[in-house]
Amino acid sequence: MRQRSNAEWIVALNGRGDEQAAALTDLRTYLLRAALFTLQRALRYVGHLESSTLGQLAEDCAQETLTTLLQRLQDFRGESRFTTWAYAFAVNIALTAARRERSAPVAQDPILEISEALPSPGRDEDGLPDPERRALQMEMMAAIRDGIEQNLTLRQQEALRALVFEEVPLDDVVRQWGSNRNAVYKLVHDARRKLKMHLASRGFDVKDIFDLFAVSA
Amino acid sequence: MIRSHLERLLRLVARTEDEELSCTACFALLPLYVDLDVSGQTPDVRLRLFGRHLEQCAVCREEYEAVRELARLEVEGRSSSIDDLRRPL
Repeated sequence: MRQRSNAEWIVALNGRGDEQAAALTDLRTYLLRAALFTLQRALRYVGHLESSTLGQLAEDCAQETLTTLLQRLQDFRGESRFTTWAYAFAVNIALTAARRERSAPVAQDPILEISEALPSPGRDEDGLPDPERRALQMEMMAAIRDGIEQNLTLRQQEALRALVFEEVPLDDVVRQWGSNRNAVYKLVHDARRKLKMHLASRGFDVKDIFDLFAVSA
Repeated sequence: MIRSHLERLLRLVARTEDEELSCTACFALLPLYVDLDVSGQTPDVRLRLFGRHLEQCAVCREEYEAVRELARLEVEGRSSSIDDLRRPL
């Protein structure tokens, strides 16, 4: 394939005739390559599909990406390589399609169950149980529980449960809630901010929490 | 809440910023960030929030890693052919 500068890509794709046709052919090759590459990396979503189905999925994604790019050529600002910009769309479309193939159910129970079980008791330097450390851990657990139950909306609790605890892919939550990525991300962001402020109001610096539970940063 | 859930939540809460990028805003910056990363340049301070978003958003992080790998292979002249990519499928 011919190497093109950003300007050459834009001029050719906006042009006509043989130059445009050649650019479209080359661009489609880039996009199909990106779709195949992405689906190979996404076998945990699409590994159950037959090879021919996967191949067709890649073709469909590449075509959808091409259509999208041609509609959005005017949005390209030249801050990156044109091909990198194109790859971003190709990967987004291919991964969205891949995740759609394997949807994890989102728990509908809005009540976040928080068990009273605690991590192993903190130990002092001699390896003996440390009552003070354990007491602080219990206090911190109570603070988190209170923060979630008192400060978060039910929807925020659902989002935390799905995305953080059960690690349901964001796209699955978006689809099942009939929402969009930005809205769900903002929901979780607001929840995290509230919890951070709540913990601070209880006198817990987050770095201290890492130490209390020997959590790696 | 089991321990692993708590750890995950704590890690995310600790890294929470008052202002964070949306996924849409992150997507708009992704190509620039990838090219800077691939070329070995340090993304400037304007892109700090982009990196923070990737810490919080698994889907954006997954997309970023795939785009970065594609861009890196292209720059290094090691992009696989379509025939080669089809084989494992």
